[in-house]
Amino acid sequence: MNRNRNHKGMKPWVGWLLFFVTMGVVFLLGMLAASITQRRAEIASVMNNRKIEITGIESRNEIFAENYPREYETWRQTADTTFQSEFNGSSMVDVLEERPEMVILWAGYAFSKDYSTPRGHMHAIEDIRHTLRTGSPMGPDEGPQPATCWTCKSPDVPRLMDSVGIAEFYNKPWSHWGHEIVNPIGCADCHEAETMNLRVSRPALIEGFEAMGKNVQDATHQEMRTLACAQCHVEYYFTPEGKYLTFPWHNGTTMEGAEQYYDEIGFADYTHALSKAPIIKAQHPDYEIYSTGIHAQRGVSCADCHMPYVSEGGVKYSSHHKRSPLASMNNTCQVCHRETEEDLRNNVYERQRSADQIRNLVEKELATAHLEAQFAWEKGATEAQMKEALQLIRQSQWRWDYAVASHGGSFHSPVEFQRILSLSLDRAHKARFEIAKVLALNGFTGNVPLPDISTKEKAQSYIGLDIAKERSNKQRFLEEKVPEWLESARANNRLVSLK
Amino acid sequence: MDKLRNLWNEIRPRGGWKYPAIIISGAFVGLFIYTFFTARAHSYLSNDPATCVNCHIMGPYYATWMHSSHGRNTTCNDCHVPQDSKIRGYYFKAVDGLRHSAVFTIRGEDQALQAIPASSEVIMENCVRCHTQLNSEFIRTGRMGFKEMKEMGGHACWDCHRDVPHTRSRSLSSTPNARIPMPETHVPEWLQNLMNEEKD
Repeated sequence: MNRNRNHKGMKPWVGWLLFFVTMGVVFLLGMLAASITQRRAEIASVMNNRKIEITGIESRNEIFAENYPREYETWRQTADTTFQSEFNGSSMVDVLEERPEMVILWAGYAFSKDYSTPRGHMHAIEDIRHTLRTGSPMGPDEGPQPATCWTCKSPDVPRLMDSVGIAEFYNKPWSHWGHEIVNPIGCADCHEAETMNLRVSRPALIEGFEAMGKNVQDATHQEMRTLACAQCHVEYYFTPEGKYLTFPWHNGTTMEGAEQYYDEIGFADYTHALSKAPIIKAQHPDYEIYSTGIHAQRGVSCADCHMPYVSEGGVKYSSHHKRSPLASMNNTCQVCHRETEEDLRNNVYERQRSADQIRNLVEKELATAHLEAQFAWEKGATEAQMKEALQLIRQSQWRWDYAVASHGGSFHSPVEFQRILSLSLDRAHKARFEIAKVLALNGFTGNVPLPDISTKEKAQSYIGLDIAKERSNKQRFLEEKVPEWLESARANNRLVSLK
Repeated sequence: MDKLRNLWNEIRPRGGWKYPAIIISGAFVGLFIYTFFTARAHSYLSNDPATCVNCHIMGPYYATWMHSSHGRNTTCNDCHVPQDSKIRGYYFKAVDGLRHSAVFTIRGEDQALQAIPASSEVIMENCVRCHTQLNSEFIRTGRMGFKEMKEMGGHACWDCHRDVPHTRSRSLSSTPNARIPMPETHVPEWLQNLMNEEKD
């Protein structure tokens, strides 16, 4: 029976046939599985079809050119300075020349020496070296500014932070890293090299979010298209100890929240040279003001307008030529708003003109308040008498600066912008009123004689600046020191370009 | 039934064939399960747009959809799969899906994909489904299906609304660096790390 078992009703060839057929089926299924796995593995090549393998923090922007030619080309276009709109543009305009009152507002602070409108990202390193505010440090550790000033200017910064540490990076003089920081704002500031995903490269933003009890790592891709910019286009200060870059977001990102924070820690960027008011300098709170506007509320990110999609031939990509959306309205505004270009442009200018009207009033009023306070001190006012007025001047200047320093705040959130300027005007008026009372207390009731500050030169000479000397020192610095820095950078392979 | 049982008795593996048969059957089932998971077949039951990117060539279509006017309110299935009945929907999905898999497996996809007539019918049906009032009261375009429209020499919705939603220049390579939710590799992380270490 055992021997017959195999043959009971089944011929041997049937057995073998079934065996091979089944093997064949399994083999084909294996092929299918392999083909599926293979095509799925292709995904790795979609992102990895690169000519150059880039890893870690690559701070030399030119290296990315081979892999991402379109984005690189458009990034290079940020060197362009031709665009001009009614109030803004891509070129460098001397603001102190146009608004000499600002010299008075910043008396005792570096901004009174030199302040120009910002221009494209490619100019970041060049412009920070050229501005009189960084002084002319010829020696290794000279100069008025700390290394923290470099933080927003270059992808060399995250590279350095990675190698020397964050606090150690900040806590040096600005000139200390002059030979290390040579590449302008570029790829590694926003992208991680392996996948080109957007990621935060500056610790201050992470810490700012933590101060609000939020985690910036939770951000969606669309939110990252705003937060990559919020690494630098925000209000900040340096802690007196260690010059650690910090965003004043502990009470939220509003103007009042930041002021409350500064008041609580008793912070002032400088004491005004004329009025002796403790002044906070506001730096471009672009992200904060934008967040209060209607576009932010509708989920529009910075990149949606400032890095619009561009179609070239059959390919669509994000233009990396960050500039005013007014320069190419058909792929910025008109993607969502189907009105004519002329209509949309007028909508923008309308809001900017309204804001400008209030701003001009504020600057006159506030500058006068400072000068009148100076006069009051000369008339023998005491600290106790002047306390209220100086506090009001501080508040007025904070509001003025918060609004005016922002890039585009008058359009990003016109209601908030004009609210802030109106409050500034209110404080400036109140300050002058207080000063009038103090003057009366000290026996003066006429009109305060005001100096002639109608031009930048007159204002600067009034506050005692020797601009000619600053300029000649700067010239020497640019001619002697900077080439040294560049040579050292080239020797250490930090620079790729020929300049 | 008896006939079937007799047939089975004839061909079933006996004696020495039992073990090889079991092993091969096991191999078959295992491969089948592997195929099922690597092709992410389970994901096709849902409406998640990321599912369509199982085939990475769908990347640009995902990207153009996401940044379009339809990105907030529709998923891929809302336009490309019949929504009038679940059964019709799943049947269409199955047939279409198998056709896609076949083309994709033999690497027969075109560089610039175009909808087949059956697909076009479904898409136009869905245009009218959401934009009903516009297409039946204000304009009468919704009263005919795609097939009738074409036979009578008319235009489909997209003959005029050419940018909706995948934009005018659309091909497999039209958005080279777009952020797409590609399927994750199924190599576990510990193994990936090990391989990276070895590479260094």
